[in-house]
Amino acid sequence: MTHSQAAEGRMALAWDFPTRAFKWTLVALVASAWASNKFGAATPNWHKWSGYAILVLIVFRLLWGFAGGSTARFGNFIRGPRSVLNYGLAILRGQPVKYLGHNPLGALMVVALLVLLGAQSVLGLYAGDEDRIIIDGPLARTVSDATVAFAARWHHRLFDLLKIVIVLHVLANVVATFVKKEPLIQGMATGYKPAERYVDAAEARPGSIVAALACLAVSIALVFGGIIALGGKISF
Amino acid sequence: MMKKWLLAGAMILTAGAVMAAGDPIKERKEIFKGFAEAAKPNGAALKGEAPFDLAKAQAALKAYSDGSKKLVALFPDNSKTGGDTEALPKIWQEKSKFDGLVAKLDKDATAALAAIKDEATFKAEFPKVLGNCKTCHDDYRLKK
Repeated sequence: MTHSQAAEGRMALAWDFPTRAFKWTLVALVASAWASNKFGAATPNWHKWSGYAILVLIVFRLLWGFAGGSTARFGNFIRGPRSVLNYGLAILRGQPVKYLGHNPLGALMVVALLVLLGAQSVLGLYAGDEDRIIIDGPLARTVSDATVAFAARWHHRLFDLLKIVIVLHVLANVVATFVKKEPLIQGMATGYKPAERYVDAAEARPGSIVAALACLAVSIALVFGGIIALGGKISF
Repeated sequence: MMKKWLLAGAMILTAGAVMAAGDPIKERKEIFKGFAEAAKPNGAALKGEAPFDLAKAQAALKAYSDGSKKLVALFPDNSKTGGDTEALPKIWQEKSKFDGLVAKLDKDATAALAAIKDEATFKAEFPKVLGNCKTCHDDYRLKK
């Protein structure tokens, strides 16, 4: 067993299909949300539906963090500050230990991105331009003008922060993949990483597709049901 | 005596009018305020929060076309600051691009005025005109 794992070319499953599908769809939707703000001034629904879809995916990922494959489960990759510090120091010493799933710093990034994108989409639900003429979230009509202005202001500020976090995230993975030659990007694309001595697990146990579809259905129901329950109106 | 008072009154009124006319910041703010007011019922109609009203759509488009023609002259070099202006310095750094966007509002409003006949054409065409507001505000208006 140990021998065959060390054999050259053997690959180990790191990320199951739903986790990867979530990840790359989220990338596309964040790009769409940005582009719709930049180029979609005449089509407010483009931006709004990008936001709804992002919120659905964030809720999906929270559920998947408990019901998904082994490397997607929060309990398996979120670690305490001591582990994060030790991992950071190991990188600085040039001898980081390798993880099959998210390493402690990567875990921090996953949490940061989920929290920021979740907050950003919820703010969007309440945000709107002055007088709510050009674009407003479905819940902007349920709150005061001051709240709409507050949400809009933070929707803008949070995006500035998101841009920084996204650049860090991409940079870390590009450096790991192309400079350190640890194929993290290929792993997230294909699901497989070279079989090696990983400290967390030798191979991931994939989550079930049925469970993934159930999580997706629940997140769609929660997001749109929630918006409607709070008095919002979804326009197409 | 009466004539003198009338004359003085007339002079004050004229001075007031001249001052307002000579205040591009105040004038352009009035125009933008009018733009927003004209947009409100139409924005609500687009969202289904108010019934579609062809007359209100046409009035707004007419206001945008007329107003944008005046706006071109209302950003002179000496109006960069003061009067609570929300205009960003970027306007004067790329004045020809800015003027082009103002002209585009006029063009789009005129085109929409001709194209909008009913609720369906309103929902298709009016957002294109409103898009001009956002394009300009994103780059040239102070964020609050």
